[in-house]
Order: sequence, then C-alpha cells, then structure tokens
Amino acid sequence: MATQDTISASAINGSALSLRNRRIAKHIGIFLALIILWEIGSRIGWLDPLFYPRPSNILRSFWLIYVANANVWFHLYATMSLVLLGWILGSVLGIGLGALVGFNAVLRRFLKPYVIVLEATPRIAVAPLLIAALGFGVSSKLAIIMLVCFFAPFINTLSGVMNVDEDRLELFRSMRASKSQILRKLVLPDAIPVIMAGERLALTAALSGALVAEFIQRDKGIGSLILVYTRNLNMSSAFACIFTLTILGFLIFKGMEKLDHYIAYWKHEDGRERMSLKRRRKIGGHSDV
Amino acid sequence: MSDRPLPLSFRAIDLGIRILPHLIIFAILIGIWEVAMAMGLITSIMIPRPSAIGGSIVELYITEGTIYRHFFITLTEAVLGFLIGASIAVSLAVCSSLSDPFRRYVTPYAIVLNVTPGIALTPVIIAWFGYGMGSKIALAAIISFFPIFVNTLTGLVQVDEDREELFKSLGAGNTQIFRKLRVPAALPLMFAGFKIGLTTALIGAVVAEFAQATDGVGVLMSRFSFQLNMAASLATLLSMTLIGLLLFYSMEFLDDRIVFWRREGRRAAASRARSKAWAAQARK
Amino acid sequence: MGEQVQSMTAVGDVVVSGLNVGKTFAAGTVVALEDANFDIKRGSFVSLVGPSGCGKSTLLRLISGLIEPTSGKISVHGTPVEGPRPDISMMFQKATLLDWRTSLENVLLPTEINGTPSKADKNRALDLLKLVGLEDFAFSFPAQLSGGMQQRVALARLLQTGADILLLDEPFGALDEFTREHLNTELMRIVSEVGATTIFVTHNISEAIFLADQVVVMTSRPGRMAKIIDVELERPRPLSIQTSVEFNKLVLDVRETLGEM
Repeated sequence: MATQDTISASAINGSALSLRNRRIAKHIGIFLALIILWEIGSRIGWLDPLFYPRPSNILRSFWLIYVANANVWFHLYATMSLVLLGWILGSVLGIGLGALVGFNAVLRRFLKPYVIVLEATPRIAVAPLLIAALGFGVSSKLAIIMLVCFFAPFINTLSGVMNVDEDRLELFRSMRASKSQILRKLVLPDAIPVIMAGERLALTAALSGALVAEFIQRDKGIGSLILVYTRNLNMSSAFACIFTLTILGFLIFKGMEKLDHYIAYWKHEDGRERMSLKRRRKIGGHSDV
Repeated sequence: MSDRPLPLSFRAIDLGIRILPHLIIFAILIGIWEVAMAMGLITSIMIPRPSAIGGSIVELYITEGTIYRHFFITLTEAVLGFLIGASIAVSLAVCSSLSDPFRRYVTPYAIVLNVTPGIALTPVIIAWFGYGMGSKIALAAIISFFPIFVNTLTGLVQVDEDREELFKSLGAGNTQIFRKLRVPAALPLMFAGFKIGLTTALIGAVVAEFAQATDGVGVLMSRFSFQLNMAASLATLLSMTLIGLLLFYSMEFLDDRIVFWRREGRRAAASRARSKAWAAQARK
Repeated sequence: MGEQVQSMTAVGDVVVSGLNVGKTFAAGTVVALEDANFDIKRGSFVSLVGPSGCGKSTLLRLISGLIEPTSGKISVHGTPVEGPRPDISMMFQKATLLDWRTSLENVLLPTEINGTPSKADKNRALDLLKLVGLEDFAFSFPAQLSGGMQQRVALARLLQTGADILLLDEPFGALDEFTREHLNTELMRIVSEVGATTIFVTHNISEAIFLADQVVVMTSRPGRMAKIIDVELERPRPLSIQTSVEFNKLVLDVRETLGEM
C-alpha cells in the first residue's frame, strides 16, 4: 500500500513539473516560430526592413555593437553614470524636502498649489529649456535627470511622513518618548517602504530623462545611438540598442526588487526570515547577552 | 435635506476665500522676483523677468493668439494616443482575465514592454509614422499602454472570495459574475491606471514633438528655448501645465461620476437619483 | 519573576486616587466623564465595565496622563498626574507592535526610549516572553504572529518597565473567546506574582467580574461611576468559577445597575 501511494505521489509531482516545463517549451516554441516566420518573410521581401528588421540582422548588430565594434559599452557607461548620479542626487533632494515639508504644516499649506501645478506639468518637458539655459553638456543632462526623478521620492516621503498610525503615536506618547525618538524609531522606519516604492519610480524616470536629453543633445549615450542608427535607417542596430535597454530595464527591475527586500525587509516573507535568523544569531540566548 | 450640496454662489465664495492667501503670497513672490531683476540683483539672461513672461503670455494668448492651435494639437495627440492605448490595453486585459492560456501568452510580452523605457522608441516611431501627428499619437499610445493594462488586469483578477461565494449561492453564471461583480470591483483600479496612462500619454506626445514636429506646444517650447527666448518658453510651459491640469481633472471628474460609491457627496446624489427613478417608475 | 516592586507606599495603601474627576470634549458639549471619585489600594485588581460611551476608556487615559481632566484631580503614589510617567504602564486594544522589530525588540521598546537597554534589561525581556509563552518566537516579526500572540507580546512589553501600576484598555477584545479566557488566566497569574496594581477596562461583564477584586460599573450619557461592587471570590480563580452561584449573583448585580439607568 505504502509503495503504491509513493509511486502515485511521485507520478503526480512528476507530471506537475513537466506541465510547467511543457508550458515554457510551448511559449519558447511559439516565439521561435514567430521569429522564423519573420526571418523568412523578410528574406522573401514581404516584410519591409524599415518596419521589420530581419532577426538575423538584429543578431548581427548585437555582435557588432557588443563585440566587434564594442561601441555600446562606452555609450551605456555614458548614460548610466549620469542616470545613477542624477537618481541619487534627485532622490536625496526629494526625500529631504519631502521630510521637511511633511513635518511642517505651515509650509505644506503654502506649497500645496505649487505641488499640484508641478504634478500636472510633464517635468520631462522642461528638457529643452534646461539645455538652452545650461548649455549642451553634462550639467544640463544631470539637471534634467534630477528634475525628472525628484518628484516621486518627494511625494512618497511626504505621504510616508504624514501618515503615521495614530495608535502607534499614542503608544510612544504613553512611553514618554521625545520628539527625536518618535522620529527615529517610528516615523522613519514606518516611511521606508513608501520611500522605496518612490525610488523605483524615480530610477525609471531618470533613465527616461537621460534618453530625452540625449535625443536633443545627440552627443553620446544609448539614446544618441538609437537616434543616429535610426537616422541612418540602420534599424537592426537601432533595435539592438532598444533591446539592450530592455535588458537594462529588466536588471534595474530585479535590482530594485532585491534592494527593497533588503531595506524594507519586514514587508517580505524572505526578508523577515533572513532578519529573524540574523537577529537571533546576534543576540542569542540568555548566556550570550 | 442636509446632504444636499450648498448653492453654487456659497461654494464660489468659499473657494475664493480659501484661494486668497495663496494669491497674495504668489503676488508677493512675483513682486520680489521682478524687483530683484529690475534692481540688477539677478543678471543671468537665462532667467526671464516676470513681466517678460507676462508679456509673452499676453502675446501668445491674446494679441497674436498663436498658442491655441498648438495647444489643441498637443491635447488631441495626448487624448487620441490615450484612447488608442487604453482600448488595446483594456481589451487585452479583459481577454487575459477571462482566459488563463491567453494571459500566459501575453504576459511575457507585457513584461518586456514594461521594463523597456518607452521613450527609447521615439526615433523609431518617428521613422515609422513620419513627422506629423501620427507619430505623436503612436508614441503616446505605446507609453500609456502598460499602466492601463496592468491595473485593469489586476483589478479584474482580484478575487473577493466572500462576494464570489454570494454570487454563486444565488446561482449566477460566469458572465453575470463578470459583469456584475468583477467589472465594478475593478473600476477603481482601472481609473487609477487611466490617470497614470493619460499623464504618460501627454509625456509621450510632448517628447515626440521635441524630436521632430511643426506643431504642438512641445515644438513651440523647444523653438523658443533654442532661440533663447526664455520668457516665451516658460509661457509655453505654462500652457503645458494647463493641458496637464485639464486632462487630470477631466479624468477625476469621470472617476468621481463612474466610480460614484467612493465619495459621500456622490453617493448621496446617486441615492437621490435612484429613489426618484424608482418613484417615477412606481407611478406608471 | 516575583521580585517585589519598589514602592513608597506600604501594602494596602491607596496608590491611585481621583477626586471629582470630569472630562468634557468639544468645548464642553460632550461630557465623557462626570464626577468620578475613587481610591485604589496597592495590589488590587479593578475592572471598569460599562457600555460604549460610559467613559471607562476616558477614565483610564486620564489616570495614565495621556489626557488631562477638565475638572478634579488624579494622584498616583501621592503625586498628581501631569502626563505619562514611569510608574504607570499602559496596554491598548490593538497590540500596536512595530512590524520592523522582532518580538524581543518590541518588548524592549519602553526600555530603549528611557535609555540604552542593559544586559539585565534584555534578559528581563526574554524572561517576560517566556512568561507569556513566546520564548520560541522572540526573534519573529509581528507579521509572523497571530492576533493572540501579538497581544501576548504587547503584554510582555507592558511588564518590561517594572511599573507597579498597570492600565489595560480592552486588550483582549479582538480575540476569540478561548484565547481571551486563556490570556485572562495568565494575566491574573502574572499580576499577582509581580504584585502590581491593575486597572482593566472591558465591556464584557463576565470578564470584568472574573478578573477583579472590585468592579466599577459605569453608565453612559453622561459617563459616571454608578456603583463599585466588591468581588470576594477566592483566588486563584479557575474558569469554572463563572458557573457558580456567587458569580452569577454578581453578574445580576452589575446588570441591574446598568439597567437602572
């Protein structure tokens, strides 16, 4: 009896696993089939290479920009160095001002209409203005990136700081906590998850801001590359660059997710487990303390 | 009786009183800026004087009235782009919520679309759709697609087990559950997605205008900037703000009316309307 | 545990007293509490029971120092209450644990706020968690604990400072009956071990009588202390005492007091 049960159990498990694998295989199969049809259509001449660059050409472009000419690395660095710098600076500014305004009711009331106006304006639209004012070059690019990624951290920090749970505040008051203690031990940790959410939005905005700046300045960076390739109707290389941004975007997505699980650990099951273990080891039992 | 809204005149006066301090402070700030520049404290040519900005506004909106055509064009680009993007997004989301295999096939492509910065497609879109409004609408549609798709899908797929159980116990079929439970329950999230989508559609339209265009506030602003006419550039930026506000509050209005059950004032109004309709029907 | 609590008053002395205490809100339009007079002896367990709006939670908050009376005076250990103080510790209806801290860290919170926790403090916190039966969950986060477990952590936190006056505002109201009864028994045990003076607010008549030496019945509109009933049942009290004749006489007494108003 026992052996029969174990056999059937493993058969079920086995088939569950292969169901998932079969699905993934189906997806990949359909995808490859589409690619192959696309390739064939392109070679026959049914598909306009402007709109449908040949897959084999796209692959060749990947090879060219990553290996043979290896020009993509320079431009990736040019873009990302500014994106990261601008993101950090813009976030610091956003979080700092958000906290300042969050704690000051008078300032909040005074600034409210300006925040509404700022929110309605597409901030990226200020790019030409900044480039004209600050000139072509790094400073205007950085200014655009900072402007674009300032807003989400600002609003999120503002909200996080203002929406502290009333019951928790009462608890702290009943323990005679000072204002500084309430800030450090309650408001700040409580706001962290919201701030992290804002940071993710800020980073994606920063990347978009950098691209727009590069479209206008056309000097270096992935955006400029895409522009130049498209102008020369080299669509396969343009697409190779766009897919590079897809990979980059995916890495950013996963990276921010990891960061969130690390910093706002208590909101995620795996973060909680990890921290539990870490704190247990640190403090241990009675004798260690 | 007590939950009827106050007469319009009362509300207007109340609004006026609340706005007044802000107007005064704004006037003071503008005044300080103007005086500082008049006295020569701020000399950078890159910072325009408020009076110059004011002059530009008058020129653009009144004397020469150049802004209106561009305003309307950008507004149209954003709205049409949004409508196209939203239609496709909602259709795909509805299909995905109804069919698991469909959702599984669509999801990887949606993820790819999400992580790729839509703005990166601008040169390609322009190469494909040309220099006219088409490329602006296309970019706006593409960029606004994902937030609407993901919000609608999440809204439709979320399950309130208690409510589902209620419907099933009443003998409701799948279509009825979809129409009478899932769709209304999804509306709040859908509208949240619409608001984001509308905002991003405007961004798409404007960015596409920067790249290459003849008409639109984006082009106007870009042109003024590179002519170093900062005053006119800022005046044009203000009109972009106006478009943004117009779009946002329109969507807020729709949200408030369609998802009426979230605000007390709207709930009361809807109650009154329905009781009137009931009474009228009973008399027949 | 079982260490004697430091106190300037001797056993049997009055530690909490109130004279003509009243509290109104909204510029006098809402009378939450009126004309409350009480003397609470050291080591006793007092329940405040009554329907919503009778002022029991308000009275508790007045004693804790979180709010000020509009009239009358409250003293604790002979000194007037002017705000939250170290000799009073309070527990609320919601566990209100900080979800980025482990159970141990949550219990240590009051000590942290009053300085750096010493090794002795940390050991005490672990002992308290053992007392409430949660030593295996000392390093778990609130999200990993059930409602009853969270309240137990809050209970341990209540005892961490060693304050001899404990105020509890319907702490077990949100829990199911079985957990509630279990925690009530635990609470009585802990409180008598530690020798604390306890004031317990509840809307549950059985719970109020089961736990207390004295039950203060409060009525609403306006909130006032209607009657103080002495509970002379034996201690320690088994749960079965709730079926005894004496117990039910007391329940009747409370209900009649409430019904009169």
